[in-house]
Amino acid sequence: MAALRTAHPAVLRGALRLYIRAPGPPASAVGLRRVSDAAPQDQTGVPSESTEEYKFVERLVPPSRVPAPPPRAGPSPSGWTPPADAPPPLAYTVRRSRMHNIPVYTDTTHGSRRTTLVRKVEGDIWALERDVKQHLKEVMGTEPPTQVNEVTMTLKVKGHVDSELKEWLASKGF
Amino acid sequence: MLRCTLLVCGRGVVRRLASSFCSESSALPPNLLLPTNLVDPSRSKRPPPPADCPLPLLRSCDAVVPAHLSAVQTWVETLEARGSEPLGWAQLHPDVFAVAPRLDILHEVETWQKNFKRISHANTKIRSEVRGGGRKPWNQKGSGRARHGSIRSPIWKGGGVSNGPRGPTSYFYMLPMKLRVQGLKVALSSKLAQVRHACPPGGRQSNVWQHPAVQRRFLMLLQDDLHIVDSVNISSPDPQDLLHLIREKLWGESVLIVDVGEEFPENILQATASLKTVNIIPAIGLNVHSMLKHEAVVLTLESVRFLEEKLLWHDQRYTPLYPYKLPYSDLP
Repeated sequence: MAALRTAHPAVLRGALRLYIRAPGPPASAVGLRRVSDAAPQDQTGVPSESTEEYKFVERLVPPSRVPAPPPRAGPSPSGWTPPADAPPPLAYTVRRSRMHNIPVYTDTTHGSRRTTLVRKVEGDIWALERDVKQHLKEVMGTEPPTQVNEVTMTLKVKGHVDSELKEWLASKGF
Repeated sequence: MLRCTLLVCGRGVVRRLASSFCSESSALPPNLLLPTNLVDPSRSKRPPPPADCPLPLLRSCDAVVPAHLSAVQTWVETLEARGSEPLGWAQLHPDVFAVAPRLDILHEVETWQKNFKRISHANTKIRSEVRGGGRKPWNQKGSGRARHGSIRSPIWKGGGVSNGPRGPTSYFYMLPMKLRVQGLKVALSSKLAQVRHACPPGGRQSNVWQHPAVQRRFLMLLQDDLHIVDSVNISSPDPQDLLHLIREKLWGESVLIVDVGEEFPENILQATASLKTVNIIPAIGLNVHSMLKHEAVVLTLESVRFLEEKLLWHDQRYTPLYPYKLPYSDLP
């Protein structure tokens, strides 16, 4: 008591500051509220809906079509060659598969029977057969037996010659 | 009896002798049989639209046409007016309307359509299901008769059937989706197929072309059973008016009208409701059996766009990660 009476008013004020809180920012701004105060009521009374976030779901849904490959001049690092812009002036065409590859496939039956199949031929398939036989004679030395199916427009060649045929067809521009 | 047979045989012999003695190259064989649905060559079909056609192009292909193929061109007609002049011409995508005529695929799809819905309810009882027959009819030995174990064995009268039909049998199977799609494309192409450069043997100037039998033989190749129409609105709901229109345009006996959409104009619905041979279906209901059953198929421009979009998508789609009933980002 005597100490309080004799102390300097500034010291007194400093001491009392511990007990008297200055009016700071309003409680609601800090995110606090007194227990005695009522909770703030929602103005609308109905939960709000928003479809803004659905774009995050939509961008995950996969496409159903195979995209066109980006245009390039020569073969890609993996060896894929794009088809020529203008169709080659031949009596036949060999279309690309849906994944833009050359439709030459190998097959092995009975363990040791090897065949190569050229699919998706359009036009004069016999001319293609002649050209294939001539090319394989130059490359392999022998003329392998071939089978032409005019109904399904496919060409079967004896032996695994898919790499030679793919190179040859790519060089033609198919 | 013998005299009658001799007379009959003699008549045939005489006819054959006469034909061999006085046969010219232009005489028709007496046993020539021609199909009854051939068009009279005097009312020849309209050739496809030429390159310099004055009528407007009403529709060109939305999808890219491959560089080595060209779009198919056909006339676009109208069902409203009775005059048989076309409104314009349209381009159709060759990968839908000009594919190779794979009759084997058509046969496969047609048999599938016929059989996959079949449930055969034929059922017979086997020896264990026939009433009775649990007891041995007589002793094994001593009676002098053949040995039997039950009166309902398959060798007995009234006994069970050993290898008969058993209960409801399902013949359900599904052809691959791409095969069914190819069947639709082949059917549309076959209906449309026209002879572009019809050159009879010996050229047009030769006498052979004048012969009606030769003309008829060549008209068999001119299918032209697919017609494009601008819309399905007709002027009156009378079925007879529609039949007159079809007869005037030489479309054939039976016509299948295909339009896109869930609702059709009242006039066409009333006109086709009572007719057995003229039918209207939505474009999603197009199938190979209906196309083969009806002589002529009539597509509207919207249904052509719809069919091209749906059928060409199968040529460039991925194999499904999950069924196509669930959402993808760019389904047709």
